[in-house]
Amino acid sequence: MLVAFAIFGTLPFWISEIGLYPYLGAEVLIFCIYALGYNVLLGYGGLPSFGHGAYFGIGAYAFGLAQFNLSSSLWLCLVAAILAAAFFGAIVSLFISHRRGIYFALMTIAFGQMFFFIASKWTSVTKGEDGLLNILRLPADFGFAAYPIQRNIPFYWFVFGCFVVTIIVLWRVVNSPFGKVVQAIKQNEARTAFLGYNVVLYKAAVFTLSCAVAGFAGALFAMAQGGAFVQVMNLQWSGVVVLMVLIGGGFVSFWGPVLGVVLYFVARDLLGVYTDTWQLWFGLLFMLVVMFKPEGLAGIWQGIVYRKQKPRSSASLHLLVMLRGR
Amino acid sequence: MILDVTAIDTYYGETQALFGVSLSVDAGEVVALLGPNGAGKTTTLRSILGLTRPRRGAIRFDGADVSRKPTHDIARMGVGWVPDDRRICPTLTVARNLSIALKRTRFRPWSMKEVFGIFSPLEYLVEREAENLSGGEMQMVAIARALLGSPGLVLFDEPSQGLAPKIVQDVLAIIRRLKDEGLSVIIVEQNAETALSVADRVYVLDRGTVAWSGLAAALRDDAGKRRDLLGA
Amino acid sequence: MDFLLYLLPHLLNGVALGLLFALIALGFMLIIGVMEVINLAHGSLFALGAYFALSLMTPDGGLKLGIAQLLFDLPIGWRYVIVLILAPIGVAVVGMGLEVCLRRTYGKDPLYGLLLTFGAALVLEELIRLTWGPTERFIPMPPSITGAVFIGDLIYSKYRFFASGFAILMIGLLWLFLEKTPYGALIKAGAHDSEMVRALGVNLTRLRLFVFGFGTALAAIAGIVMAPIWGVRPHVGVDAVVPAFVIIVLGGVGSFWGAVIAGLLVGMVVGLTGAYATDWSLIAMYILLILVVTFRARGLLGKKSVLEL
Repeated sequence: MLVAFAIFGTLPFWISEIGLYPYLGAEVLIFCIYALGYNVLLGYGGLPSFGHGAYFGIGAYAFGLAQFNLSSSLWLCLVAAILAAAFFGAIVSLFISHRRGIYFALMTIAFGQMFFFIASKWTSVTKGEDGLLNILRLPADFGFAAYPIQRNIPFYWFVFGCFVVTIIVLWRVVNSPFGKVVQAIKQNEARTAFLGYNVVLYKAAVFTLSCAVAGFAGALFAMAQGGAFVQVMNLQWSGVVVLMVLIGGGFVSFWGPVLGVVLYFVARDLLGVYTDTWQLWFGLLFMLVVMFKPEGLAGIWQGIVYRKQKPRSSASLHLLVMLRGR
Repeated sequence: MILDVTAIDTYYGETQALFGVSLSVDAGEVVALLGPNGAGKTTTLRSILGLTRPRRGAIRFDGADVSRKPTHDIARMGVGWVPDDRRICPTLTVARNLSIALKRTRFRPWSMKEVFGIFSPLEYLVEREAENLSGGEMQMVAIARALLGSPGLVLFDEPSQGLAPKIVQDVLAIIRRLKDEGLSVIIVEQNAETALSVADRVYVLDRGTVAWSGLAAALRDDAGKRRDLLGA
Repeated sequence: MDFLLYLLPHLLNGVALGLLFALIALGFMLIIGVMEVINLAHGSLFALGAYFALSLMTPDGGLKLGIAQLLFDLPIGWRYVIVLILAPIGVAVVGMGLEVCLRRTYGKDPLYGLLLTFGAALVLEELIRLTWGPTERFIPMPPSITGAVFIGDLIYSKYRFFASGFAILMIGLLWLFLEKTPYGALIKAGAHDSEMVRALGVNLTRLRLFVFGFGTALAAIAGIVMAPIWGVRPHVGVDAVVPAFVIIVLGGVGSFWGAVIAGLLVGMVVGLTGAYATDWSLIAMYILLILVVTFRARGLLGKKSVLEL
């Protein structure tokens, strides 16, 4: 949906017209990055990670720490954040990649809680509940020119740029042979293994990738907020991305998560004005979606637009079998 | 006819197992369902019970359409089942395995005393944990369990499987007793001889269709026909 | 020698915790047995039990119904007994509601059931937070079970003894229910072979509903009794599912005494780590989960393949 590009690409121009503000746009895009990365794991891979907030948080802290201790180069700090999140993701993946379903889910919760605990306790590094403050939005130095992104509108453009890059990367991944295997794993792990693929390795890879993206988003969030806070690593926040991705329709569409993120923020900023209970409604909506329309918003959209849409998942195994020439 | 199965097509997932199978059983009749492995005999029983509901066709039991009824309702109407793998709960005693089967239907009830009368060893096994029973003992419990449910029709799936000949004779005697009481029986057997010795009518299944149906006497007396249909 | 004596109260804590964990796990296990659903919201229902108890024990709990006043006027001992009965029933109702919601996911990819119970856990936690606030609450207890008791030179918490004793009683009652009553036989048979039980005329849907309610009521009772030990906070929910899961993986799904023994083990671990640093006891549980799943959970029991998904 290039519509998305159009909308987000022009956002700062119309956002104030509708009574909102550019910072919200940045927030939305950051969570879109987070959710899109997460969806490669859940929507495409069928692997339920309920502790992903940990990697988001690790990315945020890593960015801040890199900024204070390593360098004031924006790019270096971002890379540090991505690598840190990917590193911890890879370690965790060692424990969970041979698992599925409930074992996988509970392990991710366990690790998520552990990271949360460590982050809360290791106050010398993370400053605990207060958060790691004074994280700056470093200027985007492209060598030929450095653009300060301190103010919200330039910052928004920067995040938008990151969003575009993320989409390109993830789109390529998801449509590559690697992506096809991941989808096949979701459909039928045993059969995919039978076909000769090292499913454990693929699961580890996709998990680590989603952690890396989460870390990237976390770093951007740290810049947005001016600090890294431990709350994003707790279970509630880890749950939020699951809710967004599913409601949006991550199971059937690459763009689903974007819809879910937008809906979440609409609920927060519009509903939230009237009532404190908006999160409850969002959660209930999630339950209803799982019960009645697991394809989510994107699924509804697809139902309207493409009446005879072949479900994404079943295509993969056939494709795989063809690829393997059997 | 107490049971009328009309042209049912039953599937396991996307694989069709039964193709237009029809059969009927009258009150007080013993009907044998014969055929080789995989012919669809057990599938037919499961379709009647509602465990694997047919996609097309109709099943009527005791005057009511049960094609779409849930299994527990069909059972409550008076259909009893003695599955080929007995399915006695191993962590329960014989007594408790039997007690959960007690129910009333419009058919004649069987008391525990009566059931012990038929299966005298059961009285001594009552407190035994089911996992410590022999094959023959489990079969007894399975049949007793079916009776305690006050059935009008009992479905026996491979009742002679794995049993000593003496016990097989006991089982056949019970089936004859049920017939005398006016109850109906469907007996599924790979061992044609066993089934034919007690059946009134026979349906021979082959790859999901009824290859032949008729009086048991016809097959009993005609070895040639038996060989053709059943390869025995 | 002194070291051991120092450890003793923590061991006792561990026993009390362990028995209560076992109770949660047994309810969790009953549900898995009869319907093969891993209820991630089990912990939230555990927490809900404590909160329901709070509202029934004291008007501070926010209950503004007129008839509730009858309850508040009772002497605290009687009130507590009644609350121990009423609150779990309330939770059972919520649990049964959840089972009805889950029905839509039966037969589909188990991932959906998992997501649904996860969502339910979040929703319940949010509901609790909105209704009773995010801060820690305290349930008034009858003085007969609170306070200190002296054994030799050491001071022990009277409540831990009560909690242990009560848990033993509940476990015993549960055992009697499963082993000696016809309904217990039904549940065991249904867990073993749902098809056969249907063929015996049992309405499996109703059975499942009941077992879900029953299992969650057990969690609620554990929640009420554990309230003074663990504290009454909205977040407690998640932390309660983890020991239940660890216990059934350790003790074997379907093994009653396996769950009890595993429960005691887990309780000991948590209780003893609590001796060194209270914050760490919770994390000890998560570490235990990671260790147990990494080393022990391998193709668990042919029938319970739901755990493998």
